[in-house]
Amino acid sequence: MRTPIKLSVIVPFYNEQDSIGALHAAIVDAVAPLQIPFEMVFVDDGSKDQTLARAVELARQDHRIRVVKFRRNYGQTAAMAAGIEYAHGEVLVTMDGDLQNDPADIEQFLHKIDAGYDVVVGWRHDRQDKLVSRKVPSVIANWLIGKVTGIPIKDNGCSLKAYRASVIKNIPLYSEMHRFIPAMASIAGTRIAEVKVRHHARRFGNSKYGLSRIYKVLLDLMVIKTLASFAARPLLWFAFLALPLFLIGTGALTYALTMSLVYHAATSLPIAGSGVIFLTSAFILFCSGALGELVYNLSGMREHDFARLTQRVDTRTAAAETAAR
Amino acid sequence: MTERDAQVQLSVIIPVGKRYSHVRELYGEYVLGLESVRLTREFIFVLDGPHPQVLAQLEQLISEGTANIMVVCLSRPFGESTALMAGLERATGEFILTLPAYHQIDGRDVAKLLAPLDSDDVAIGWRWPRSGGFLEKARRAVFHGLVAWVTGMRLHDLGCGARAMRRRVLEELSLYGDQHRLLAVLADRKGFRVTEVALRQSDRDRFEGVYRPREYAHLVLDVFTVFFLVRFTKKPLRFFGMIGATMCGVGALVVLYLVFGRLAFNQSLADRPALLLSSLLVVLGLQLFALGLLAELIIFTQARHLKDYQAAEIIEYPRSSDQQHSHESRTAAVS
Repeated sequence: MRTPIKLSVIVPFYNEQDSIGALHAAIVDAVAPLQIPFEMVFVDDGSKDQTLARAVELARQDHRIRVVKFRRNYGQTAAMAAGIEYAHGEVLVTMDGDLQNDPADIEQFLHKIDAGYDVVVGWRHDRQDKLVSRKVPSVIANWLIGKVTGIPIKDNGCSLKAYRASVIKNIPLYSEMHRFIPAMASIAGTRIAEVKVRHHARRFGNSKYGLSRIYKVLLDLMVIKTLASFAARPLLWFAFLALPLFLIGTGALTYALTMSLVYHAATSLPIAGSGVIFLTSAFILFCSGALGELVYNLSGMREHDFARLTQRVDTRTAAAETAAR
Repeated sequence: MTERDAQVQLSVIIPVGKRYSHVRELYGEYVLGLESVRLTREFIFVLDGPHPQVLAQLEQLISEGTANIMVVCLSRPFGESTALMAGLERATGEFILTLPAYHQIDGRDVAKLLAPLDSDDVAIGWRWPRSGGFLEKARRAVFHGLVAWVTGMRLHDLGCGARAMRRRVLEELSLYGDQHRLLAVLADRKGFRVTEVALRQSDRDRFEGVYRPREYAHLVLDVFTVFFLVRFTKKPLRFFGMIGATMCGVGALVVLYLVFGRLAFNQSLADRPALLLSSLLVVLGLQLFALGLLAELIIFTQARHLKDYQAAEIIEYPRSSDQQHSHESRTAAVS
């Protein structure tokens, strides 16, 4: 068998016919001196220009390239996920196809992974983008994501990231999760490091990702937050949701009953009715929680599977203990 | 079985549901229409429920020595999608052509459907020019307009049963319920290239009578299905959360207004039905939100089976060890 591949560089391309050749050269220049077996996974995200043809041409010349072809444009998350799926390396590095990331930074990512981190995130500390349309929303979004998920990463949007393959391949990535990969990865208790990376202004083509609508980010954040903390305990989620309703409902009912029983006033229909509505709803929410438990139970997904991905077993101590006995 | 073998290239599946014509005549028409096509073919009739007359006609056809006909009988009506899948299970061809069991399109045009399959994966028939009164035309325009609005696909005739596709398409879609009508949309979502082909309408495709409310309900449900499938399958909370948050917000505002009235102007809460309405809104909003969360949990736990991309091909050139194949890319059809 061939030597195991240490590093896979994953690059999604969408209409980047001018960049792909230069990027390939830059990656090879940056990684070849490191003297490790590596490969490149180029994902063509349904480009309409010559990107695919050029990628295949490159692959013909350089056998370290694998090209994953999509039938149509699926978006960046899907392209990254496909790249991750079809990469064989121990360490996976993802980067943008538009030359804004510098492959020369890959080396420091590798050092961090070797130092024991599972996920290394790039931080474009000297960002070469327009201030108002790109930088300001990004700062706000990153602050928000950090606050909600509890993982203070300064730059979630930087595509240049490195992962330990055994960890990232087992974390569900879907929809538009590429903004939140570190947060998703934290479900498995990953050790996350951040390194400063160089960032270049765009040389070719146009930027594809503009301002995104804020409510989407907010809802996505809420999903990740709840999933990360409660996925294994749905009954708890729903109990939290149900509790205020239960309290209001009981309060309203008690009030209505006291009024009619103790003070012999006429029973107030709206108040008693509201109480009943709230109580019923609390009950249904609780039942939804039970349904959630069922879903989780049947899914075959287990928390300890995630824990196993990142756990470390200190065998020396274990051996010493047996010897001591 | 007779000489049905792996040489079949084109499988024609005809699901026979509630509406059907004289199948012998229809078969003859289709065979004539397919004469120009240079593909070895088989016909698979799927009887969706007991249709003794049709079965008798087909048996007669078979006993007369017509080759490459197969009849699959389903024990009860399961619906067209299931019938198609049952037919697919028996089909051996690389290309699948589904045809209506009644005179819907002009049989002479059937071959037109197969032409685009060189470059596209799915070709959907479209009856044109089409008969029908003003009301029916308006109804169709509204329906297809809605579909176009939701999916961004400008389709003209989802009701046409004539569709040609590569085998892989139908295998990957695994249709159920009423999805056969949405085949074009679903295939497009999976990343297949879909095209529409105008076919002449059969003179006998006349609809007599009035559409019942049920038919309209079907159309509306179709649009809803497309809407959910296209927009929200991967992001349920975006949908449920949006509606839920709006309801909850409106309800909370009304409650606040009532409480304010009670505290500031001493208006009694006890005889205000608005309180009931607002608490209903709050509660309903929360319930919807909870449903969204539950849906997210399902997606999250099943994410590994719900890949949202299809790799059409993996292209890589072998390393130096097997240089002799270096001019052939490895092609993997990834499911």
